[in-house]
Amino acid sequence: MTELLGYAIPGIPFGCVFALMAIGLVLTYTTSGVFNLAFGAQAFVSGLAFVSLISDGWPRWAAALLAIVVLGPAVGLALDRLLFRRVRTASPIVKLVPSLGLLIALPQLALIIAGSVPTIAPPALFLDAQRVYAHVLGVPVSGLELSIMVATAAVVALLLVLARATPLGLQMRAVVESPRLVELSGINAGRVGATAWVISSCFAGLAGVLLAPLYSQIDPQNYTVLLVWGIAAAVIARFESIPLALGGGLALGIGQQVLAGYLPPGVIASGLRPSLPFIVLLVFLPFGRRNRIEDPLAGCDPPPSTMVEDARRYRPASALAVGADVGTRAVGLWHRALGAGPSESLAARAVRRPTTVVAWTLAALAVLSALTWVPADWLLTMTQGLAFGTVFVSLTLLTGMSGQISLCQASFAGLGGFVAGQLATQMGWPVLVAGVAGGALAALLGVIVALPTLRLAGLPLALATLAFALLADNVLFPVSWLGDGASGVRLPRPSIGPVRFAAARPFFILALVLLVVSAGVVKRIGDGTTGRYLFAMRGSETAASSVGIDVRKLRIGVFAISAGIAGVGGALYGSLQGSLVPEDFNYEISLVLLVVAAIVGLGSIGGAVVAGLVYTTLQRAVATLPTRYAGLVAVLFGLATLSYTRHPEGIVDFLAGRFSELWARLLGALRTPGYGRDAPAPEPEAEPAHGVARP
Amino acid sequence: MSLLSARGISKSFGGIDALRQLDLDVAAGEAVGIAGPNGAGKTTLFNCLLGLTEPDAGSVELDGRRIDRLPTWRRSRLGIGRTFQRLALFDGMTVAEHLLVAEQARRGGIPFLRDLVERSEPRVEELERVDATMALLGLTELADRPVEGLSLGHARLVELGRAMMGEPRLLMLDEPSSGLDAAETTRLGVILSELRHRSGTAVVLVEHDLQLVEAVVERLYVLDFGQLLAVGAVRDVLDDERVRRAYLGGGQ
Ligand SMILES: Nc1ncnc2c1ncn2[C@@H]1O[C@H](COP(=O)(O)OP(=O)(O)O)[C@@H](O)[C@H]1O
Ligand SMILES: [Mg+2]
Repeated sequence: MTELLGYAIPGIPFGCVFALMAIGLVLTYTTSGVFNLAFGAQAFVSGLAFVSLISDGWPRWAAALLAIVVLGPAVGLALDRLLFRRVRTASPIVKLVPSLGLLIALPQLALIIAGSVPTIAPPALFLDAQRVYAHVLGVPVSGLELSIMVATAAVVALLLVLARATPLGLQMRAVVESPRLVELSGINAGRVGATAWVISSCFAGLAGVLLAPLYSQIDPQNYTVLLVWGIAAAVIARFESIPLALGGGLALGIGQQVLAGYLPPGVIASGLRPSLPFIVLLVFLPFGRRNRIEDPLAGCDPPPSTMVEDARRYRPASALAVGADVGTRAVGLWHRALGAGPSESLAARAVRRPTTVVAWTLAALAVLSALTWVPADWLLTMTQGLAFGTVFVSLTLLTGMSGQISLCQASFAGLGGFVAGQLATQMGWPVLVAGVAGGALAALLGVIVALPTLRLAGLPLALATLAFALLADNVLFPVSWLGDGASGVRLPRPSIGPVRFAAARPFFILALVLLVVSAGVVKRIGDGTTGRYLFAMRGSETAASSVGIDVRKLRIGVFAISAGIAGVGGALYGSLQGSLVPEDFNYEISLVLLVVAAIVGLGSIGGAVVAGLVYTTLQRAVATLPTRYAGLVAVLFGLATLSYTRHPEGIVDFLAGRFSELWARLLGALRTPGYGRDAPAPEPEAEPAHGVARP
Repeated sequence: MSLLSARGISKSFGGIDALRQLDLDVAAGEAVGIAGPNGAGKTTLFNCLLGLTEPDAGSVELDGRRIDRLPTWRRSRLGIGRTFQRLALFDGMTVAEHLLVAEQARRGGIPFLRDLVERSEPRVEELERVDATMALLGLTELADRPVEGLSLGHARLVELGRAMMGEPRLLMLDEPSSGLDAAETTRLGVILSELRHRSGTAVVLVEHDLQLVEAVVERLYVLDFGQLLAVGAVRDVLDDERVRRAYLGGGQ
């Protein structure tokens, strides 16, 4: 008993911090429809500010006040105004990408501003961290633990009083039920949402400050881990119950410490503990929001689209039919009312022709340059860009075309690379064959990820894949016969008979060929029958299966093909670099990949290729700066989400659209001399006959 | 022998019995109507027959073969097409694409293989069948329009067309006339009669518009609170005292 308590009590402070995080997530999600992953970053910013201020000699109370009550809400409110307010009614991916971008960017920005990480051991919020203040059944309770528990209990109590006993609380709960009914009764739902945003940012800030002294030094990594546990607790709370979020957080905090205490040390123990969130997510995600499908005003026009989105995206098993029946139609109308949505991309598609010519010309010039005058170091960057382009192409298929948000694409790539490396170095397989085998095993992994997540879509699917990426990082890649932990895996450059790809330019050609083949596969699939099936599946899974589409196999197949291509890309990258370590493809890379893909353009193959080049070029450019600015790439990606919320179609498709607009105007001006720009634009180049090209 | 035969279908949602021990038979080529007040369980019955909702009890046979363990897509490929009361169109796709998807899917095949090995364009005969159906439904001019912009009447026709592709033997239509005006409803009746005349497709029609029911249907089932109230020839059933009380509100 004492032994169990001895493990459990140190778990409570962790549980408190997880719970604070989860409550913040639930609060903003229910009131504004955005699942703000950036809370992890906001917590880090507050934690860093707290420790930095103290190491600058501030008194503890002042540092805490500034970090939690000023900085936390200020950052939160700014993000709400600049980004999240605009995406509240958007599709799951448009909601997710800004928060992912910020999750990556904010900590790096804070580190650049702070200049250096304070080296002092972070103090507790109050009390003396090391001193033992009490004994519970013989287990000592330190000031650190006591301060965290007291602070958490206090703010949660405060929140519950606020929610139950004030007009604001009533309004907040009403907004959760139906934003539109609230608006109709004359209350500004947006303002209520902003208030909830401020409160939950305080929670994130407090979590950040409280978490700091649990580790010897402040480190962004710990905060992402905190976020993941917070997500797991929010999922236990079904994204909606604050008491359950509290209970879930505590249970997870205690559970992980108890597990760590009883399990024998080794890979299983150190792997099993970080996998706990993944298991929790898979078990609890399918039960999300079962009872919140029917909005009182469902069927009226226009519907509150967050609700309709929920009905479309969350498909609890028993309510499958109802979920499908809730106006998919209405969503389309609502999108149109907003002036956004699918019809836009159709129009964009119709006028893209002239840009094709330009795109191919640029591509040909780039290839020619690479093969002739580009210096070796830039050639390496370009080749890296092609390898990552292959990985981006796999995202275009999975996320762009079939609408499944994957936050584990780097894990697929990593698996491909590691398998190829092991086969080539340990078993002596030819590198090319090993690379193909790596791709095949990655495809198998794709199937393994797809199977338990078949019922998930939108945000829950994204979270499940994120959890899977963490699982791969902690369990799969450290083992010696795969990623081999820190030492990594060697992967030489291939050769076919007498043709060797060791030199830079031959390898460039090899990478180009592999990229073209992958892109060709994806394009053919996307333009063909599969593409139409995928689009139908996105529109309505119920209707798709009612016309005879095997939605499960389709999803599994797309996951497999996408993961396989990513795996080949990973092997290609590994072979280019000569070796791979797990950090090359950890979960953070997965997040970055999705953010970059979305910003640059998930909708087209061209977007994927450009994304690969942009990704590696930016990294190379920043590598020349002083180390303080190492995080600048991440900051840039974060800033780019500002443009993303305006142009969710991505930079490439946006520019292409602009270009063809200009082109059309120019043609118009030429055809009707004297009227110039007032002349109506000529008809855009026609689509292929019969309109059966995939949207 | 009947084409479709369902026995003892029951389904409850929490406390609500949506369907209680319901039997349904449809002979090949026959047109059967299902009527009943809102909430009687008509849509739930469709969902149970197609496997979109798992019934608590009961069996479903198509051509004497049990299909109640098969997934929805398999039942669809065996020749059942349906429309949705609350439209379930594929946003962003055109009218022609809706029909094409259904045509390709109901005839089966592995899409990946087809795209990679064979080719990714639709076959000529597929396009011809799409064109023929669009002509029958009067949708030809809208072929390349995305479905989001269509009027409700046209959207219902697209649903019908999508259900008709791949020559199903049984069409299940869930309130196809709701939201249509009188002229559109009349035209729908004409189209359905022509369809049955041409290809002998069996039809199950859930419908509130009794004129349309009388024009299309031979036998009528009436449900109330998930139970069968009456079944028989259309006129007999409509004259039934209980039906008039339950359905038409007090039997005037
Ligand atoms: N997925 C579901 N969850 C809960 N209740 C449902 C569900 N589907 C239908 N119902 C209920 O079952 C009953 C029958 O509904 P339905 O089949 O839609 O009736 P009809 O189509 O005849 O109007 C109604 O009371 C409805 O509320
Ligand atoms: Mg109904």
